[in-house]
Amino acid sequence: MSTVDNLPNDRLELLQGTLEVLILRSLKLQPNHAYGVSQFLQQQSDSQFLVDNGSLYPALQRLLQCEWISAQWKTSPNGRRARYYSLTPAGRKQLVKATSKWKRFALAMARILAPEG
Amino acid sequence: MRQWWSKVARALGRRRNLANELQLEMEAHLQFLIEENLERGMPPEEARAAARRHFGNAASVRERSYQSWQFPTIESFLQDLRFAARGIWRARVFSFIVILTLAVGIGANTAIFSAVYAVLLKPLPFPSGERLVWLGESSAKASGISVTWINFEHWRMENHSFESMAAFQKADLTLTGRGQAVLTHAGVITNEFFRLTGSRPILGRLLTASDDEPRSVATVVVTRAFWAETLSADPEIIGKTITLNGTAYIVIGVLGRDPGFFLPPVDYYLPLRPSATQTSKRDAHEWMRVLGLLKPGVTLSQARSDLDMIMQRLAQADPGPESDHRAFAELLTEHRTGDLRHVFLVLMASVCLVLVLACANIGGLLLIRMTTRAREMAIRTAIGAARSRLARQLVTETALITLIGGAFGIGLAGFGLRAIEVLGPRDIPRLSEARLNLPVLIFAAALTLAVALVCSLVPLVSSEKVNLTIVLKESSTGSGTSRIGHALRGGLVIAEIAVAVILLFTSGILLRSLWAAEALNPGFESKQLLALELQLPPLPYKSEGAILDFYGRLEAALRAQPGVESVGAVNCPPAAGDCRDWWYSVVEKPTPGPQDVPVTLVNMADTAYFRTMRIALVAGRAFSDEDGVGRPTVAVINEEIARASWKDPRSALGQHIKVGGPYMEGPVVEIVGVAANVPQIGLDSPPLPEIYLSANQRVDAALVVMIRTKGNPESMIATVRQTLASIDDNVPIQSLKTADTWLGATLVQRRFTTLLLVLFAGIAVILASIGCYGVFNYWVSCRRQEIAIRMAMGAGTIAILRRTGRQVARLGVIGLVVGLTGSWGASRWLDSLVFGVSTHDLVIFSSAALAAFLIVLLSAAVPLWRATQIDPIEALHEA
Repeated sequence: MSTVDNLPNDRLELLQGTLEVLILRSLKLQPNHAYGVSQFLQQQSDSQFLVDNGSLYPALQRLLQCEWISAQWKTSPNGRRARYYSLTPAGRKQLVKATSKWKRFALAMARILAPEG
Repeated sequence: MRQWWSKVARALGRRRNLANELQLEMEAHLQFLIEENLERGMPPEEARAAARRHFGNAASVRERSYQSWQFPTIESFLQDLRFAARGIWRARVFSFIVILTLAVGIGANTAIFSAVYAVLLKPLPFPSGERLVWLGESSAKASGISVTWINFEHWRMENHSFESMAAFQKADLTLTGRGQAVLTHAGVITNEFFRLTGSRPILGRLLTASDDEPRSVATVVVTRAFWAETLSADPEIIGKTITLNGTAYIVIGVLGRDPGFFLPPVDYYLPLRPSATQTSKRDAHEWMRVLGLLKPGVTLSQARSDLDMIMQRLAQADPGPESDHRAFAELLTEHRTGDLRHVFLVLMASVCLVLVLACANIGGLLLIRMTTRAREMAIRTAIGAARSRLARQLVTETALITLIGGAFGIGLAGFGLRAIEVLGPRDIPRLSEARLNLPVLIFAAALTLAVALVCSLVPLVSSEKVNLTIVLKESSTGSGTSRIGHALRGGLVIAEIAVAVILLFTSGILLRSLWAAEALNPGFESKQLLALELQLPPLPYKSEGAILDFYGRLEAALRAQPGVESVGAVNCPPAAGDCRDWWYSVVEKPTPGPQDVPVTLVNMADTAYFRTMRIALVAGRAFSDEDGVGRPTVAVINEEIARASWKDPRSALGQHIKVGGPYMEGPVVEIVGVAANVPQIGLDSPPLPEIYLSANQRVDAALVVMIRTKGNPESMIATVRQTLASIDDNVPIQSLKTADTWLGATLVQRRFTTLLLVLFAGIAVILASIGCYGVFNYWVSCRRQEIAIRMAMGAGTIAILRRTGRQVARLGVIGLVVGLTGSWGASRWLDSLVFGVSTHDLVIFSSAALAAFLIVLLSAAVPLWRATQIDPIEALHEA
């Protein structure tokens, strides 16, 4: 099943465990709802990442279980009620930890994959 | 961890809430998408459809979000369980049969195992009971005979293998001075006995070494039961005296818990003090045996050779008739259960076979049920159930039904135990302690799990073969005709018949043994006969004259009663066991070598005994009043001993027997008569050589007065009591019962074993019939179309019967052959339980075979009849 129309063929599949960090990052500046999160991720990655709702929603539930994010119903700027997620202090800490881990990971990958010489 | 906790909290409280919230959230999400599309200028319908498309599969999103809140394994297990329970409820008849079969199989096994555990496996209730050794002496002719005091002393001082040793024997003493005189039972022991059996006093102290000194005051330690019942639980009892056999014994202690070493239990313990003869003569045997505690790490055979070395040294230092005697040692656990081990092994093996049958039946039923469910499984596979998920669900269902069956089985075992307690023989040590205790429950649980495992494999094996398309397209026969299923079902029929044959054979052999024992001509007339067992207290019956006078007056008084035909007395009546045995030799025959001296039972009878018992005299005469003190000592021998030495019993008359054999002291007696054999040990024991001495010449204070009544012996019991009381009411009655009860009691254990085996065989027959019927019936159902085609092509009833019957007959014959072969092998095991028939008795073999034939015939009859009743048109239309 596809969640996005007209999929470009070379979109990136999310690596296992990356989606949670990305969600945390997307909530760093302000609370957002599920749709907002998916839009944010798509825009920030220049539409490279495919964010499937079937992955997004379970990931949000997992983060709620870890109490890294909390949820409450609010009215959006255009007058719609939506469920807004925001980072908890524990979530902020987790984001810092995960960010440094992923940066190291990406750096290491880049080093290995970098052309020789 | 945190994640897990919040899951639990959710699971407990807010699951439903979560669903609503998620629904709302997703709707809001969709609205955002729709609005966006509308802004782009799409018409509303299209905007909605595009938004839906963009959102993706909402159901899947919902499901996956839920899953993150679930415990997937547990929840799907619970789901399986619910589904299984529904399945069991839906197929009520099927489930009832399976549960009942299992309950019977597991219940019978659990009950028998609890008996086996209590009697054979449970550790003895003594500290380091596994190192306790029962010690006796053995000669070339007999093993486990009594130990003499001097030998015991040497063993105790010189051995290197035992931590400690205690001598013990039993004695019966008359308690007087507390109301009616009663006969009481004593354990006579050296002081180490209490330490070895781990006994503690609740009042006073236990016996110590100083109590064993021959000249110290007479002391006694009473059991708690005796203290509570006979001594009215007197808290001040310590220091008081009780009168036993006319001697005052000071009570020095009350035991907390009786060690339960002596069987039947004793009332109190007296110190064992050797007599002057015992301390001076190395061959002065009494009834003493020895209990030893092995040092850790010492084996039984090491201990035995250690004691044998001592015996050899003693024989060199002090040669005598018993120089060849050696030590006899046996672990106490084995000594106490010796013959029973065999009985229980046979019972356990039989009951295991019943369980095998039960499993086979359930396996068969499951196989059949699987085929009727093949379509259901196929449909479920078609709409997306994974094979592993289906398999798991089938296993859950089988496991659940097995567990229910197991639970009922344990309940049934509880009833079985109650029955064993009521019906079981009392002389099996610790049988009454059989309980549904922890080890038994673990056994039952393990058994149930094993059965569950085996039975769940059946549907798995068969479901392996389910081929979706075939099952869905064709009729329900799809998986049933698979080769594996076919072989399995054939194997089941063979196994069921074989097991039934083995159990039928075993129970048949035992049944015939029981009949043989019950129908055995005991050599005397046991109807209308009362047996009054007496043991005269040493005071005032000290002299032989006083004893003879008492019995003379008692017999005369009894004879004078109306309704009494005749009265005679004997020391050891038939079926009373081995009261006394001793070596003997025939004076007129060549002297046997020291190793070859034969052994005989020695008994004492008075003049009227043979007449009263109606024991036939084969030759010569019974004792007469002439054979008194001061006259030549005479003996009546039984046929067995006469035939051992003389071809014709009549040639024994006038010859002489040296009691004790050529090498031991003992009287020489003249044979005046030869009497017919009577079963001295029990009704189901072979005849043994026996010598009767005249009770007038060899006086014994313990005699059993046999009273032949004219009418019902029971009605004379009160008269006998009154007559005894009129002569001396201080003489306690040890027992007073009819000879039939007495004799019958010797068969209790045999009856019990036989009853159980017959019961198992009965269950086996029922199970096998049901099992075979199920398989045959199923075959016919599977072949409806084939048979219909044959019928349509003109095959008659006979032809159909012949075709189907041939297969049934083939399996039946194979099962029979396997069963008979198994029975032949099993018969070796039964040797020690068989009496009066051969273990390879052809009548029983053929009866078992006939019974198996009937099982096959009966279980095949209805299915075969159904096969002939198939309506070809109808059956072919179904296809």
